[in-house]
This record gives sequence, C-alpha cells and structure tokens, in this order.
Amino acid sequence: MRSPAEPIDFTLNGRAVRVLADPGRRLADLLRDDLGLTGTKIGCNAGDCGACTVLLDGRQVCACMVPAGRVEGAAVVTVEGLPVGALQRAFLRHGAAQCGICTPGMLVAASDLLARNAAPNEAEVLDALGGVLCRCTGYRAIVAAVLDRGDEAAASPAPRGAVGERLDKVDGMAKLTGAEKFGADALPDEPFLTLRAVRSPHPHARFVLGDLRGLRAAHPGLAAVLTAADIPGRNLYGIYPTGKDQPVLADGYVRHRGEAVCALVGDPATLATIADAAVPITWEVLPPVTFADAAAAPDLHAHAPGNVLCRGRVARGDVATGMAAAAVRAEIAVRTGFVEHAYIEPEAGYARRVGERIDVVACTQTPYMDRDELAPILGIAPDQVRVIPTAVGGGFGGKLDLSVQPLACVAAWTLGRPVRMVNARPESMAATTKRHPARIRAEAAADADGRLTAFRFHGDFDTGAYASWGPTVANRVPVHAMGPYAVANVLCETAAIHTNGPPAGAFRGFGVPQAAIAGEALMDMLAAQLGLDPWEMRRRNALGVGGVTATGQVLGAGAALPECLAAIRPRWLALRAEAAAFNAAGPAGLRRGAGIACMWYGIGNTSLPNPSQMVMGIRRDGLAVLFSGAVDIGQGSNTIMVQIAATALGVAAAEVVLVAGDTDRTRDAGKTSASRQTFVSGNAAKLAGEALRAEILRRSNAGPEAVISLGQGGVRVTHRGGTTPLDLSELAADDEGIVLRGEGRYDPPTTALDADGQGIPYASYAFAAQAALVEVDTALGSVRVLRIVAAHDVGRAVNPTLVEGQIHGGIAQGLGLALMEEYVPGRTDNLHDYLIPTIGDIPPIETMLIEQPDPLGPYGAKGVGEPALVATAPAILNAISDATGVRLTQVPATPARVLAALGAGRAA
Amino acid sequence: MYDFAFQTPASVADAVKLLADPEARPLAGGQTLIPVLKQRLNKPTTVVDLSRLGLSGITVSGTTLTIGATTTHRTVARSAEVKQLIPALAALAGMIGDPAVRYRGTIGGSLANNDPTADYPSAALALGATIKTSARSIAADEYFQGMFATALQPGEIITAIEFTAPEKAAYEKFSNPASRYAMVGVFVARGPKGVRVTVTGAGQNGVFRHTAFEAALSKSWSPDALNGIATPVDSMNADIHGSAEYRAHLVGVVAKRAVAKTL
Repeated sequence: MRSPAEPIDFTLNGRAVRVLADPGRRLADLLRDDLGLTGTKIGCNAGDCGACTVLLDGRQVCACMVPAGRVEGAAVVTVEGLPVGALQRAFLRHGAAQCGICTPGMLVAASDLLARNAAPNEAEVLDALGGVLCRCTGYRAIVAAVLDRGDEAAASPAPRGAVGERLDKVDGMAKLTGAEKFGADALPDEPFLTLRAVRSPHPHARFVLGDLRGLRAAHPGLAAVLTAADIPGRNLYGIYPTGKDQPVLADGYVRHRGEAVCALVGDPATLATIADAAVPITWEVLPPVTFADAAAAPDLHAHAPGNVLCRGRVARGDVATGMAAAAVRAEIAVRTGFVEHAYIEPEAGYARRVGERIDVVACTQTPYMDRDELAPILGIAPDQVRVIPTAVGGGFGGKLDLSVQPLACVAAWTLGRPVRMVNARPESMAATTKRHPARIRAEAAADADGRLTAFRFHGDFDTGAYASWGPTVANRVPVHAMGPYAVANVLCETAAIHTNGPPAGAFRGFGVPQAAIAGEALMDMLAAQLGLDPWEMRRRNALGVGGVTATGQVLGAGAALPECLAAIRPRWLALRAEAAAFNAAGPAGLRRGAGIACMWYGIGNTSLPNPSQMVMGIRRDGLAVLFSGAVDIGQGSNTIMVQIAATALGVAAAEVVLVAGDTDRTRDAGKTSASRQTFVSGNAAKLAGEALRAEILRRSNAGPEAVISLGQGGVRVTHRGGTTPLDLSELAADDEGIVLRGEGRYDPPTTALDADGQGIPYASYAFAAQAALVEVDTALGSVRVLRIVAAHDVGRAVNPTLVEGQIHGGIAQGLGLALMEEYVPGRTDNLHDYLIPTIGDIPPIETMLIEQPDPLGPYGAKGVGEPALVATAPAILNAISDATGVRLTQVPATPARVLAALGAGRAA
Repeated sequence: MYDFAFQTPASVADAVKLLADPEARPLAGGQTLIPVLKQRLNKPTTVVDLSRLGLSGITVSGTTLTIGATTTHRTVARSAEVKQLIPALAALAGMIGDPAVRYRGTIGGSLANNDPTADYPSAALALGATIKTSARSIAADEYFQGMFATALQPGEIITAIEFTAPEKAAYEKFSNPASRYAMVGVFVARGPKGVRVTVTGAGQNGVFRHTAFEAALSKSWSPDALNGIATPVDSMNADIHGSAEYRAHLVGVVAKRAVAKTL
C-alpha cells in the first residue's frame, strides 16, 4: 500500500506552491526532481553531509531527512531563495566556495544562524555550520566569511585581475546562488532513462548471471539489463596504454567489492523497486588476495606475476658506504590504509547518442582522456565522442578515472536514448578509486654535523584490483621519498601490488604523502640523536637553487625551500615555546607538542609528455574569448587561466569570456592532476595571450608597450599618444565567431629516467615547510591540532586567495590522513563511519606564500594543489611525538592507536 | 518512491489506532527512521507522523520536570526550566548531533528507538525518569531492555518523560566525530534514586548502570573514587572506531570527567 500523490501546500522561497506528491517522498527529491531547484545538493542521502540543508520554518534541516508530508503549511527556503547580498559576497571575497557543492548548505546554515544572531562569534559559527561537510576549503575561509560580513565597505574596488591579484573566482557567483550545474544537476532536454549498476558484494568471486527475462517480464519499466556481452567495443579500460585491465561490466569474474556486474536501465521508480538480490546471480566466492599475502596468492592478472603490477627505482651513489660512514642512523616502518576522496558530489552524469556520435555530460577531471577511453569501449573513433564536463563537486584525483561514463555511454549508444547515472554515496565509496595503502621501510643516516649521508627506502603500495594510476605512484614515489634534501647515496624502490581491494588510483600526492610520513620521521629521529633542533636538521640538508637531486637533476632558480624554512622559523620557535610553557604548567593528562615537516613535489607527469594547448581569440564584437580545456574542479583554474591570459593580452580579466572544457570547442589541456594546470596550462594560456597580443599589435603597427582596450566598438590600440581602432569587420570569422586568434602550447621539458632513475623527471618542483601544534589527551588518546603554519614556495601566486585556499584544503586532507581517515571496504561506505574532518577539526592556519619566481613558470608560478597536503600529516605526527615521546608509525593515528602507543590502554 | 502510506493523525488516540498495524512505524523527528527507510532496512506499510499530536512542551511542578515526547533537542537544550532544574539534561541535549538534528530530533523519538549510542537513554536511566505512554507509566528501570529494545508494546507511543531533579548530575561523552553519537557517554547523578552511573554507547546491550562505579561514588563522590575499578571488557561493544578494550578504558576516563563536572 502506498500513499497516492496528494496535494501538499507550502511556501517555497516566499511563494505559495502546491505539488502533487507522495507525502513519504523526501523533500530533497521533491525540490530537485519535481520543482527543478537543483541548488539543494544530495551528497549522502543519509543526513551526514548537510549538502541538502534548507530552511524549514526558518530552521536548518537536511532535506533528505524530511518527508514531503511534513512541509504541508510550512515555509521552505532553499539556496535559490536566499537574498544575494553581503554573505554571498563575503564567500566570494574569502574564497569560501571552491568547488561549490557544499556552498548551498553552508549558506543556508549560516542564514539560519544570522537570522537569530546578527553578530555571532567563532564558536557560534562552528556550531551552526557543524552539520555541513566541506572537502575543499578546510572550512577556515567559510568561518571567516560568515564572521566578516561587515567588512564590505572597507573592501577595495574590484581588481583588474592581473596576475598576482585577488580576483573573485570568475565562476564564483553561480556557486553561491544554486545556479551551478554539477553532474547530477545537468539533465538532457529529452526524456531519458536511468541506469543503476548491480555491484558485487564480494571482493573476489566468479559469478554466473541467470536468465534475466523473468526480471524484464516482472518489471515493465525496465528497458534493459546490460551485461558484459552488451559492450559494443572493448570491455576494458585503464589509464595507461599498457594498463587496460578494468572491465566496464565484469565478465563472470570480479576482483573487488563494488565492481559492476550488470546494469539495470529504466525509469527511476522501477529501478527503486528492484533489489540487487532480485537479480539472478550465482556466486562462487573466492578467497580474497590481501596486501599481506599477495606475493604468495594466486595471480589476479596474467600480466602481473606475483601480483606485482610494476616497480619503481631511483639509485644514486653507494648507500652501504653512506650508511657505514655515518655518525647516526635511524630506521622506521610505516603503514597507511586506503583513503577515500570523499568529495561531497558522488559521480554523476548522462550520455546521449547524437547520430553516430555520443555526448557525455558528466563530472570529470580529464575530458580528453575520457574521450579517448570511451571511444574504444563503444568501438568508435575518439572524434565521435564529445565530452562536456559539468561543474565538478570535488575531485582530488578521484574523478580522473572513468566512473559513470562507460555504463551511461554503452546504454545510450545501444538503446538510442539518453541515459543518466548517479552513483549513490555507498556506491561511490565502494566502486571508485582510493589512495594507495602503503607498507614502507626506510632508513637514513647523517654525519656528525647533521648532513644526510644515505637514504634507503622500500615501499609496497596496494594498488587494489586494477592498475588505474598504480604505475604513477610506483614511479613518483622513488623520486620524492628522501624528501627535499641533498643526499649523495640513495636507493629508493617501490612496488605496486594487486589485491582484491578497491582500485587504488590518483589521490592528491600520488603516494608522496605516505612516503613523507616515513622520511620526515627519520629527519626528527636523526636530529634527536644529534641533539639538533628539527628545523636546523632540515635547514642543513635543504635543497635549494643549484641543489642536486637523487635523480641527478640540478635545481633551477625556482627552488625555494631555504626561503620557506627561513620564513617559518620564528613561528616554529614560538610554537615550540608555547608547547613547552603549556607542558611546564602541567595540566593533568594533556600534553602539547610542535612538529615540523618539509616536502617537495614535482609538477606534472613524471618523465612523460604532458602538453597543454590553449586558444585565445577576439570575436568580431571585440570581446576576447579564452578557450580552455583545463577543467576547474574547484581549485580555481578557470580564474587562473583567465588572469594569466588577460595579463598576457594586456586587458582586464572581466573583458575575457571563458569557454571551458568542451572537447568539441577547446583544445586538449591535459588532465587536472599532478598540480599541473597552473604551470603547464598556465604557460599555454600565457603563450596564447601573447600570440594574440602580437597579432593585434602587428596589425596596428604598434610597439610592444602599446595598450590594448576591448569592448563596445571593438579593439583599440593606444600607442605613442594615439589610439587606433582595429577594423575587425573585414576579417573572416571561424565557427566560434573568432576573427583574430592566438594559440599556445606548452610541454614541460623533462627527460626519461634510466634504469637507476637518473634524469630530469620534472621541469619544476614546489617546496614547503609546515609546522603543527597539537594537544594530546593522554587519557583518551585523542589529538587536537591547535595551529598549522604553512610556508609554501609557489613561484608566483597568480591569485593569492586561491593559492591560500589550496593550502587550507590540502592541510585539512592531510589532517584527515594523519588522524582519522581509513577506508575499510564494506564497513565505511558512508560519511559517518568514514570520518573526514568537520568544521570543528580544523585549527587556525597561517599561510606564508614564498614568491621566488620559477623561470619556467607562467609569470614564475607553479602548482600548489598537491604540495599543500604532503607535509601536514608528517608535521602532525612529529608534533605528537614531541608532545608524548611516542612515535606513531601507522596512520590514521586514531585515539585508540595513540592510547595503545602510549601504553596506557588499561582502565584508569 | 517508497512503498508505504504516510499518515498524519491529529490525536494520540488516532495515532494509536494507526499503529495497531504491526507493520506501521511511528515517525517522530525522523532523524533515525528516514535514513533507515531510505536504505530499505525497514519496510513499514504505514508511517505515522507524530508531529501534530500536541506532545511538545516542558512543564515544571516543584522538583518534577515533564518534557513532552515530541519536544526537540534544541528546545530542551535552550529551556530555562531545564537549565535551572536539571542543567545536565540541557547540556546533554545540546551535545546531540548538529543543529539540523537538534531542530528535528525529539526526546521521545530517541527513547523509543533506544539506539545503543544515543544520549538520552543514559539520562533517563540515571535520573530514574518515568516514561509516560499512551497506555501507562513505565519506570526507566523497566523501560530499557537492550539495544533498540524497550518495554513499549506495539502501538504504544511515548507521550512525555517525567524527571525528578537530582542533587548533582553531569553528562560527559566521547563522540564519534562525524555523527556525534556517543562512542562512550556517561551520566552520573546523585539524588532521590541514590547514586547512579549510566553508560551509553559502550555496552553490547545498550545503556546500562555501572554498579561498581555507583558503589564507589556512594562512598565518596569524587573522580578518584573510581581509580582502579575496571569495566568488564566482555560486555563492551567493538567496531571500527574502537575495540572493546578501548571502550572499557574510555568508560573509566569519561565517568571521572563527568563526576569532576559536578564538583
């Protein structure tokens, strides 16, 4: 028995509405699906994430937790109904909206607070926003925005948007009004089918699909049940040319829990009534291959004997000699677990067949790789695939792999109707990639002056069921494992190991954060033996300009770790003094400690080409257009590209129209990964802007110092006191209406690495030093981070607000890695058992931007996305050690693990 | 989307009538039932909305505090009456979940569900509350019968909870950082019912009285009185957030901190 749809009357955003709806339907669905108000987001559908927060009679509620019948006679306000004013402008000014998926919930929760309390303090803001999760910002900018609404009058006029200025995000306002369309918000114009994957509940099994005709007959709304046999082309995909090992639909054999075995396509109501158990599948469960026993277990892939996917190696000098000659030595074994990206937007999108082509509209970090991967799955050419990225509600590497796209494409291609697929939160967590668990052994040695003489490292990385980005981790880690230090004798080896875990892929740092936990612990351990301050130990070994890396690369003028260390030194000394003073006062059961860690990170692919191309043009109406294929996943590359291109052309950012991401309209700017967009695509944007400027000046016979102005009436060039209008009317326009164009292409200069890993793997490296102050409750084992100071070598901050936003967000994820995040398949497929930092977990963060221009960077800039995260976990772990004298070697350092390490796991 | 009827009765009698169907489920604040329905863990034929039965409100008579079943956590947390008579109860309500949960979640819903990690059961048991229902009054000592199990009969709904003000009381908890459910919550009270120490979140059978702690605190009301008194590990819950051993340890630490709050 089901309630028939009945009329429900309520006030929505100030207007009376009547809807016919099942009163048991969720308010979130009613708003999004029936009323078209997609500003209310669904991140978990379980009351955990707060993305669907709306006001119900003036009070914040999770719309996924409210039955529609409950709104009868009530007033509902969604983000679309909030007045756009000081609060939203404060969000823009503070960079409080990065990807924007949590922003509606944050704004609604803040509105609830501000309606009751016009001048809240920080504690009140933390409480009021405490039910909304953000994965991008690290929350501090959001708190600052809610507290800082009054400062508007003091704000300076809008900047021109040149490189170096704090320009508001060019796509920022849409994220604040609910207008932005994310993967689940974009719908085809025509009627569409919905697809749900049926996924394996077993990590390792053979299976036989039974007769599916009964299912079809029982459910007339079921349009198709797709199986491996329905894949028109190659039922395998993967990141590397040699790593096409992952089926779109498993063919009788599954290698991880959550792997799709068939797909139900139909109307949503029908799909909701079909339980997975109703699909006839006979399972033969096999023993799972684990990280512990992979070497002795049966091979999961024929091409990976011993379950070793690949190995990486960097060797320089003679480690044995370096160790023997040393005054002090230290060794450590470190373990880390799977870490989930936990972006608040689960993967979503749709595909639509258009004749002999297919359009794919979905959230992605890498439209061009998607295009090239989807084509063989459908058995068509890449130019038959058009990828149109939606706004991305957080990526962090997790949306570099295909997710919903292959199934939606296969269904749309074979059925001839648009097909939409939205992963539910548990599916998203079970089926998509993770950070690699690591098992590391490392050893370091130094002479009596604290100078490193040798470093040895072996890291096994659990790459799970499929290759994904496993080779990237195996190759990147050996280059970085010894940290940003000069060491003459190095041996770093890695292996990517297949197991029946979820595929481990790309996650902000590609294994380097795990390796840094070991390396930075060793630095502290050596310093302690030598009686050196941990800062001093790092300063004596820091790589700087002219330093030689373990791959034999001589660092260029951008290498600014010494400068980062110099900047952070006063703060480091203050944090140490603060911890010592607190401990001397001796509050029972509480200990404070300070920790420091350094990091380096190569920008872009490791020794592989990774070009970006950009086009900038002038339309006949005189507007400048930047065609950028660089996908903004919230980090702000749309704004960065516009600022760079506008500066290169010599106009204001507001005069540049951005066309982003569509593979039919933009050039390949590679993937949003490896912290490469600012450096690589930014260089391409600069070259495109400069080429366009040169073309305009050439046509005007003007010199390089001429001023270009755009707008009504076309292009004008001012030179030597005279202004010349440029006649655009006679010029031929292309499909986009462009009459003048400049193109830019940039590929960072790198070389291949030899068998010992010698060569130039990256054209540029970013460096950082971070310090943490923590408080350990020695009775509970809990750790509270009280402060983070982060000095980052960014070359040049194209937009300081966005750079600081990356640093804050990276620190939040580093804190999660250190203290709380561990994905356990089948146990943590939600956002209450899988813990990510909440608004109360992130301490005040002080950022220091060290701007020593990189000669190769656009205006000196380099990437910061991944560098932001790498040093945080080691700094926190070093601080715990400083506080307690106990070193945690397994992350996350949960309260139970900390307590066990303190040896106090007995009743008090 | 869900295969059930949604009913909004206007009186307790009508609600009881609808809930006579064994497959019907009452809906209070919805913070537990809605997610359960979404996961299809629970497939009722009818959902009976209790929000329009007029059961919200707080009254005081002498040292007796009566809280209507559909009174929200936020209302309890901010109530001047509750703060004056049983401040520990107001503090507990303010520690539940996040603002959205406190706006919607109700005391009656929490006690009827009796989630082993919920906060309110510890207060009701420690304060010797009386659970008033559509049919009768139930003493807290008889009411809690294991995790998710209570003395409520099918079709019986809570209408109010009656507390008597204690002499001293405090609640302390170690929360799951995401849900803020209690991994270990301890309510200590000294009053008309004597000394009571109740523990939520930790036990395999839901909320329980820690009689060894009660005996020690009866002799000496101080954190140190709990030194050296172990909590049996084999009765503790264990999950990915903490082992049984860790929870048993936390019970002692949290209990001491609760006692310290009253000093």
